[in-house]
Amino acid sequence: MSAVLGPERPQVVSHVQQALSYTVFDCKWVPRSARLMCLGSAARGTGVIQLYELHGARLEVLREIEKPKPIKCGTFGATSLQQRYLATGDFDGNLNIWNLEAPEIPVYSVKGHKEIINSIDGVGGLGIGEGAPEIVTGSRDGTVKVWDPRQNDTPVANMEPVQGESKRDCWTVAFGNAYNQEERVVCAGYDNGDIKLFDLKTMSLRWETNIKNGVCSVEFDRKDINMNKLVATSLEGKFHVFDMRTQHPTKGFASVSEKAQKSTIWQVRHLPQNRDIFMTSGGSGSLHLWKYEYPAQRSKKDSEGSEMGVAGSLSLLQNVTLSTQPISSLDWSPDKKGLCVCGAFDQTLRVLIVTKLNKI
Amino acid sequence: MGDESVPYFLGEGTTKTYQIPISHLDYKFIEKCTDVKHLEKILRVLRSGEEGCYPELTLVCEKRIECLDPRSRALRKDKPAATASDFTAEEWQAINSELMSWLAEMNEDDKKSQLLRTDTANERQDNLPPIRCSSSCLPTNQNKKLQNKQRSKKNIPRDYSEWDKFDVEKECSKIDEDCEESNSKARFFSRPSLPIIEKKIDTTGMTKREKIFIATREKEKGNEAFATGDYVEAVTYYTRSLSVIPTAAVYNNKAQAEIKLQDWDNALQDCEKVLDMEPGNIKALMRRATVHNQLQNYQTAIEDLNKVLSVEPENSMAKKSVLEIEEKLKGLKPVSEPQGKGKKILIEEIEDSESGEGREENTEEHERHGGDKSSAAAAVAREAAGEPAMGNAHRKSHGKGKAQQDRDTHKHKDSAESGGKKGASKKKSEKHLSDHEGEVNGYLRSDEKSESAEAEEVSTPHREGSQSAGGGSSTSLPPAAAKLKTEGNELFKSGQFGEAVLKYSEAIEYVTGLGEQSPDDLSILYSNRAACYLKEGNCSDCIQDCNRALELQPFSLKPLLRRAMANESMERYRQAYIDYKTVLQIDSSIQAANDSANRITKTLIDQDGPSWREKLPPIPVVPVAAQLHRWDGGSLTSENKPSTTDINREEELQMNCEEPTEKFKRLKNEGNDFVKMGEYEEAANKYSECMKLNTEECTVYTNRALCYLKLCKYEEAKWDCDHVLQIEDSNIKAFYRRALAYKGLQNYQASADDFNKVLLIDPNVVEAQKELEEVTQLLHLDSSAGDGSQQTHGKKITIQEVTEPDERGEGQFATSENAEAQPVAAEEAVPKVVPRRSSEKLRIPEPPNAYDFGQIINALNANKDKAACADLLTTTDPKTLPVLLSNKLEGEILLIFIQSLKHYIAGKNPGLAYQHLFYLSKAKRFKVVLALLSKNEKEEVQHLFDLLTESQSDRYSLEDLESLKKVYEL
Repeated sequence: MSAVLGPERPQVVSHVQQALSYTVFDCKWVPRSARLMCLGSAARGTGVIQLYELHGARLEVLREIEKPKPIKCGTFGATSLQQRYLATGDFDGNLNIWNLEAPEIPVYSVKGHKEIINSIDGVGGLGIGEGAPEIVTGSRDGTVKVWDPRQNDTPVANMEPVQGESKRDCWTVAFGNAYNQEERVVCAGYDNGDIKLFDLKTMSLRWETNIKNGVCSVEFDRKDINMNKLVATSLEGKFHVFDMRTQHPTKGFASVSEKAQKSTIWQVRHLPQNRDIFMTSGGSGSLHLWKYEYPAQRSKKDSEGSEMGVAGSLSLLQNVTLSTQPISSLDWSPDKKGLCVCGAFDQTLRVLIVTKLNKI
Repeated sequence: MGDESVPYFLGEGTTKTYQIPISHLDYKFIEKCTDVKHLEKILRVLRSGEEGCYPELTLVCEKRIECLDPRSRALRKDKPAATASDFTAEEWQAINSELMSWLAEMNEDDKKSQLLRTDTANERQDNLPPIRCSSSCLPTNQNKKLQNKQRSKKNIPRDYSEWDKFDVEKECSKIDEDCEESNSKARFFSRPSLPIIEKKIDTTGMTKREKIFIATREKEKGNEAFATGDYVEAVTYYTRSLSVIPTAAVYNNKAQAEIKLQDWDNALQDCEKVLDMEPGNIKALMRRATVHNQLQNYQTAIEDLNKVLSVEPENSMAKKSVLEIEEKLKGLKPVSEPQGKGKKILIEEIEDSESGEGREENTEEHERHGGDKSSAAAAVAREAAGEPAMGNAHRKSHGKGKAQQDRDTHKHKDSAESGGKKGASKKKSEKHLSDHEGEVNGYLRSDEKSESAEAEEVSTPHREGSQSAGGGSSTSLPPAAAKLKTEGNELFKSGQFGEAVLKYSEAIEYVTGLGEQSPDDLSILYSNRAACYLKEGNCSDCIQDCNRALELQPFSLKPLLRRAMANESMERYRQAYIDYKTVLQIDSSIQAANDSANRITKTLIDQDGPSWREKLPPIPVVPVAAQLHRWDGGSLTSENKPSTTDINREEELQMNCEEPTEKFKRLKNEGNDFVKMGEYEEAANKYSECMKLNTEECTVYTNRALCYLKLCKYEEAKWDCDHVLQIEDSNIKAFYRRALAYKGLQNYQASADDFNKVLLIDPNVVEAQKELEEVTQLLHLDSSAGDGSQQTHGKKITIQEVTEPDERGEGQFATSENAEAQPVAAEEAVPKVVPRRSSEKLRIPEPPNAYDFGQIINALNANKDKAACADLLTTTDPKTLPVLLSNKLEGEILLIFIQSLKHYIAGKNPGLAYQHLFYLSKAKRFKVVLALLSKNEKEEVQHLFDLLTESQSDRYSLEDLESLKKVYEL
């Protein structure tokens, strides 16, 4: 009966569609709940935060908050499971942390960047990642800054180009390697295709590469393990998966690349319950679900005897097209495997169910 | 005719885009074509519609591509999201109901957590690590300092160039403790840069929900690591998960990972924990059988497999294993060769099928999870009951009525069926498992009698019971107590130790309640209960009971033995030793006690050194009268015999000792004794006998190598070491002894190589360092004088010196071979046996690449071993220095180079020193490092230059030196 449909393949079901009255830039599940956040920009140029709750087959607005500046991105990564404060970055370069119970005044606020904050990520909260809670922001002003919510006004680490060097627009940032209290890396992707890996323990640039096209999204498969894989998506529809376990002295990390579609891949998100499955969201309104398969040997010796990584292969599990407009944001529920939310530029929020992820 | 003309007519032109002949757009062609690329082009042409619209043909083309390359990108089509129509009604309902139950659960949780929320948040704040960069601040005036720091440091932006100080070597040299614990083979395969991950998770202030959440996530991380083959990492994450909430499923997974790491002891422990939680767990039984098989406890392995087979008669893997093990048991005595072989095959097979199983376990769990969750109430109920694992769902389902069970079973079948790729046998067993669920639980009651050994093992207390109940003159148990006791014995016999404990306890209460003085019976009861506790692994209660029994009946055999075993398993070796010794005083024929005493002696020597005896509490002297006081002996000598053998058997089973291993151990111990007495000839013979029993055991070879060394049979010693190194390529002892053997053979070059390897593995071996120095000297003498014959005398003495302290460590190596903690060294370089005096410049082989060089330098640097560094520099071609150093040059490295050049090389070979200095200045980062040198360090450099100026050489002029000085900014 179901054999016709390919019983092994996961299916993507559009569970709820919610029309919005503003442009959505980011959406996030509130951890340990059936609620989700929606961030964006209203037509009159103000910022919007909406809190929804999933009730069966519909979304119910719990709260709508308006802020003076459009909000580009948000994260729960640096907050505790009890507090669940939302950290956001806005068009003016402000980093704010909101208590959603009392959202009038931010619990933490800093003018972190001169220009728009494109991307934000958090670690150390939610029981994910050892060590201090920290937030990283990447901005059009070319800097990547790491913040500790316990320290006001100044970042705990600031990565910016040397004087004279041209400033590149930083489009995406991600934490990783936070498997103990000391280790932590930040990966940043820039509009010129640069990917830079900063080691926060040694305060050094650990690795950099260029993937030729602007880097739209980077994410580690898990933040809280010895870094394993990194996915970077690009403007021209290609994405690269780097095996981050073995760094060759000259060649860096091994990688495999795949072209998902002709349009930009806006975002990549790994399934929180299985690091080897991830979804990419494309400019043509499509979603692709991928699985990474490891090679038999993850590293080998080159002619000089140095260890070098061996990249695995990728297989497409499913693809769907949901919209004609780009899907700009994507988030898996950390609590319910297969539940995910995405926001598209057609001003629609969609809650999706991906089935049969257990059987992969 | 008409038919032929059509393709001809069509075949005229080509398509616009890819210039494909039109004739290729044809059913026949497409069906025959095997070139995927070409077909993809055809498909694109067809889809574009530029040659007309042929939906049928397009479909055929798609199918053909799919058949040739199912992963072809051309097949990817834009698809809309799936809707209800894409699923069957049941599936759709399952999807929805699963979501609804999750929603319900979340809502429930929200309400609960709101109540708990208030102060827990602050608690966690206190445990947080300090803010980056301000960690060095004192807590007292933190604020002030913090601000200063911020001003001075943080406001200055860091630029990319500052990020360059990362030291890859340092990262690489970090080695996980975990890795050290695992045995040498696993150590060798694992990467050198294993991270240090906390083994425990701080869960203060977490709610139960959060704990479950975290435990599950750690388990997922473990599963992922397992799937990738990072077993060490997997074990770490499973341990973390267990530190939050211990569950049977995680223990089971951990056991599997440990089996992969060949960490048999821990795997055994974990299997036993699973079986404590879920006595009928098939996977745990299978895994325990594997472990027992590996530990050569074939009998126990077969018992476990039989248990599996009694539940799942179809389980082909278990059947196969049983056959193989039985074969092994048979083939064990005549030859040992096939045994090793057979074993290997078995491992392979189990690994293959188990790797699938590991994953299956998860899916299975999820499956059950899903099944249970479909009724939210059930899920909540389970939480309320505090059921930790989904793995228990099977048992639970019994209580929850037929309907749920049915659904569970159904689900289960589904999963088994859909997992077609997992192999037919697996499927069968899976189904079987679900079909026989009931039996899994009822099984202990009904089926356990089939295991012979278990029953045998209990027969002793049973006999005691029947003896006493049967009204022997000495026993005077009241009938009620006697009945309880027999019941207890029965339960014990059937393996239900927990229930047996209850019965015995009742009996004890009853007897003590009566107040009658019947110390004998009470003692027996305590002793029996102790046996139960021992079986359960509850060592402290076992010891207590034994103590009571012994108070009532001093010097009775069984409580003493049990106490000894309990103490041993609690690692209280001294007490255990005393007890075994006491047992032996009573009856010296108990083999198990003998063996155990020997074993513990070894452990104690390791622990306390040669004076271990002084630390022992006094061994009680057993009065002669007590020797008549043995229970089983009674007055009848005829009964005495079987009972002691019984004990032996019991003990043997418990200690996991099989006869051949016993013999092996005995021979080895005898060999060791001979070594201690200095009778190396005999010792070597003993070891040779050992090898006949087991060719895998490396210690025997290293030991025999030692004997040969003492006997000056260097060639033989070398062979033994070679053999060991084939099996275990990082055996430090083997390297060391082979080095000595080479030295004896006057192959100083090879000898130096091996000593270097020893030092690479463990830089702290002082003897090796000394030896190395000596050998290098000999090497120089050798190459200069060309005659090393007069060294023979000195050589002999040195061997004597070195092996003496070394020998003491023998026991340690024998017992804890696997637990040796040594950093993994880069041992890729296979020892090159350089023919003696083949050329004038015999040298330590040059490090082949920057990585190895870096490793060596780091090791040297850690010890500040200038002499070794000098050796390294003499062997290294100065010209290659910049390449070898790559960008790893650091102040410390420069310093140790300068120092070793100054102390060791400048005097002998100023030319070489100059060249090194010259090429050092060409290395990357040299300028930076130089700029960072302190005043004292600069002086050292100056000193070296002075030295070079004094001792002229034809390889450099004074001008050269002056210009180089400038480079060094002097």
